[in-house]
Amino acid sequence: MNELADKLQRYLRGKLDAPELIVSNLARIPGGASRETYRFRAHYDGRNRGLILRRDPPASLIETERAAEYRAYDAFHGLGLPVPAPVALELDPAPLERPFFIMEEIENCQAGVILSPDPYGEHREAIGKQFFSVLGKIASYDPRDIGLSDFEGETDIHDVAMHEVARWEKVVLEDEREPQPIVRAAIRWLKRNPPPPAQRIAVVHGDYRTGNFLFDQDGTIRAILDWEMAHLGDPLEDLGWAIDPLWSGGNTDMAGGMLPRDEAIALWQKASGLRVEPEALFWWEIFASMKGAAIWISAAREYAQGSNTDPINAFSGWYCLAFHNKVLADRLGGLS
Amino acid sequence: MNPEVDTILSLTAQKIVAGLGEHGQAFAQGTAGLIAMMLSLSAKEYDRAADIRVVENADLRSLFAELAPQAGDAGLKGKLEAAAKGTDASLRIGVLNANNDALRRLLTEAMIDSEDRNATTALKRIWAVLQAMAARRLVTL
Repeated sequence: MNELADKLQRYLRGKLDAPELIVSNLARIPGGASRETYRFRAHYDGRNRGLILRRDPPASLIETERAAEYRAYDAFHGLGLPVPAPVALELDPAPLERPFFIMEEIENCQAGVILSPDPYGEHREAIGKQFFSVLGKIASYDPRDIGLSDFEGETDIHDVAMHEVARWEKVVLEDEREPQPIVRAAIRWLKRNPPPPAQRIAVVHGDYRTGNFLFDQDGTIRAILDWEMAHLGDPLEDLGWAIDPLWSGGNTDMAGGMLPRDEAIALWQKASGLRVEPEALFWWEIFASMKGAAIWISAAREYAQGSNTDPINAFSGWYCLAFHNKVLADRLGGLS
Repeated sequence: MNPEVDTILSLTAQKIVAGLGEHGQAFAQGTAGLIAMMLSLSAKEYDRAADIRVVENADLRSLFAELAPQAGDAGLKGKLEAAAKGTDASLRIGVLNANNDALRRLLTEAMIDSEDRNATTALKRIWAVLQAMAARRLVTL
């Protein structure tokens, strides 16, 4: 750890033009299987600044583009959304052995724990209202207006859904270590029952859910995190993911475990300026559970082949995959 | 279940031996918590693993016996009939898994055949088996 702190200090002294800068209290934060995340203090120019280092791991759960993640932080922070300020992006592996970026730490906050029966306590409703409004706001921006129009993703409103199906089907086909009849059936259903064209192409966060935002003791959302899967797409993709039953302990009436489903959707519609057609949202909800299954299948492979033995990957391969198989079987079986 | 219990126990042991404190106390505590949860889940899986696979394999063979007469082509019909007559020769997880993998692959083949023929009764039956499989494999904390 001292070696990493020394290298980080050397890098920041040059990057921030602060030759006296001191790095202290460098410690890795649990979670975040796709990036190694560290918290540290930087003392320079009379400042004592809390910062976060996000470094590529030796093997990544899902290949993600850290430059795109950094630019998403930059763009949405600049728009006044609760997103941490980015500080530095380094694609050259030389300074810290692997590419990384640094952003400000949002202090005195906490993230909701997915498996907790009541992650938000008395602030549940207030946080839920902000959660779905901020998501709608993200969907309201034209990527061309915020400098993100070159993000990966399909820009044809007619093709965007199948583009995303193909993206995750590829992950399933490459990473499944045992036959997955339910996930395969879900992929076929998604292909045979395409949703209506997207109303708009927007930046999709890609992992907007409980656990990926910070709130303070007053119940104010202070930071939307983990933009590593951000891409261009149909904004309904994010809504379908945010209300997936995995994030609400299986309770489909409480979107994200925070708000009644209808209220959450109404807030999202108001903030995004988009309509939610039930059939379209149902398609994106099936997609969300399929995408989740693909991620967990990939996690299980990473763990089993020893390339990333973070126990969260074993947990994902067991609990989360079994959960999403059940959701898909119940929802699609209900249509037969 | 993938990864299997033996993989989890083996990699967990390596992680513990290597030491959890390398990245600081908070990270060590988080990792230890996850390890404890996975060991607890592994204990449950140890008890139910063979039972799940035996029941699932029997369900799939029974399903294939029903589907075989309606199969869209002779090749699939033959495979379904052969699989329906199969048995699990051992209760070792590796053997049950190998049988289960073959049966699951054939299930997808049979399902696509039923979808292509719009065989609604067969599909209803297949989904009932899939729902039961998913419910049986659900992991409770």
